[in-house]
Amino acid sequence: MSAKIEAQGVCKRFGKVVALDALSLEIAAGEIFGLIGPNGAGKTTFIRILTGYWLASEGDVRVDGLSVTRQRFQVQARLGYACEQPKLYPDHRVDKFLHMMGELRGLAGAKLRRATDLAVERLGLGPVLHRHIGVLSKGFRQRVALAQAILHEPAVLVVDEPTVGLDPAQQIELRRILVGFKGQHTVVLCTHQLHEAEMVCDRVALLDQGRLAALATADEIRAGGSLEALFLAKVGTHHEEAP
Amino acid sequence: MIRRLWALSRKELRQLFASPIAYVVLTVYVALTGIYFFQHLVSYNQLLFVYQSEGLTAGGFDQGTVPSQINVLNEVFVPSADDFGLFLLVVLPLVTMRVFAEERANGTDELLLTCGLRPYEVALAKHGVTYFFVLLLLLGSAIYPAVVVLRAGLGLEHLVALYSGQLLYGCAVASLGLACSSFTSSQIVAAVLGYAIPFVLLDFAWLSNTVSESVAAVLREVALLSHYGSFARGVIELRHVVYFAGIAGLGWLASVASLELARAR
Repeated sequence: MSAKIEAQGVCKRFGKVVALDALSLEIAAGEIFGLIGPNGAGKTTFIRILTGYWLASEGDVRVDGLSVTRQRFQVQARLGYACEQPKLYPDHRVDKFLHMMGELRGLAGAKLRRATDLAVERLGLGPVLHRHIGVLSKGFRQRVALAQAILHEPAVLVVDEPTVGLDPAQQIELRRILVGFKGQHTVVLCTHQLHEAEMVCDRVALLDQGRLAALATADEIRAGGSLEALFLAKVGTHHEEAP
Repeated sequence: MIRRLWALSRKELRQLFASPIAYVVLTVYVALTGIYFFQHLVSYNQLLFVYQSEGLTAGGFDQGTVPSQINVLNEVFVPSADDFGLFLLVVLPLVTMRVFAEERANGTDELLLTCGLRPYEVALAKHGVTYFFVLLLLLGSAIYPAVVVLRAGLGLEHLVALYSGQLLYGCAVASLGLACSSFTSSQIVAAVLGYAIPFVLLDFAWLSNTVSESVAAVLREVALLSHYGSFARGVIELRHVVYFAGIAGLGWLASVASLELARAR
């Protein structure tokens, strides 16, 4: 239930600004792959191209051999996406929202009920199931975003900044949930939290100014000291964000 | 696809009625159409009274005889249809401005457009639910004309034609508003464009003296009002139906195009 991801020469330009500059990388099936980098490095841009939300200016991303550019809807059927600062519908109840997202994913009847029950169980949403999303804490909203992303048992799970704004207990719980996805889905985790990437990911790609600045496995990171050391060596501390 | 459309439509309905705008627009539209319809009805009754009184005093008319052009159709239905059309033009952009722009501003379009939904499905659900709201507006305002039809014995066909015209016209105006909403994340910009475009398209009579006859003829064909009037007279002409359906279709296509264009930003 996991898939390989291949990015080949992916470029994204917004006018004169180059957000991604010929990015190529491979993500193995079943691994938890981290994307780190300073603001404006191209992490979210890459994720939006991977999910088919944006079109690459050049190059392509393949999921399970399927091109995001030419077979967008087939790729999206294999992919779950929990975006940054969960963009959900605050006037929906959690159960109704998950039901709707399941239906939009093509699930129905007993299969839909089983999928929502499983997602609710995996993300611990039972206590807030009948509450409106708008009144939930950030932590629970993030869990709802993850729950809708795994409803259809996607081969690839893309998670953008899942722990931003969460208290330490919620961060620890969410990381535990992400680690639980290992082997079941290929997870692409975009984060600013270096220690989080270090704890959760099998491999980490450091992006800087739209390019791949470094790629390291968990063992390589440990051997080199820490991810922070790698980040400081490749990017430094006085990084200027692209205009 | 049907299941996805139904799920999306339920979401749209929930969002539409979660906002007070829908209720305010419904109330204001039903109240305005009621007041103006009643005014036309009162004016018609006064006209009848004048003609019948003259018949008694000046001998111009016999009591009970009224010129044939003074009838409930010409004095009540036709002017009411003009008013109702104008009211639709005023209230609909308040409903359509939110539909796409809010989704884009909140970022929830990312959720919809990455879960395997086709842009045409998203646009179809949003347009469909807005047309349903237009139908609700019209049903709310139909009670007064319906009573007159029953009391005046004017014939159901007039009511059906009048409301078919209003529905088509309303859907076309709503579709233009939705297209405007789909190109921006600002509801204010969507509302301004949603007012400006239908008002420009409404009538080109003001231009007729400054352009050649052939251009004026084309502009007449393009104007919304040229296609709206005959419905109030109880006539449903295919060319007018096609015109309004065409405008609604173009609005939907523009919405789909805007979703695709946003992807290639």
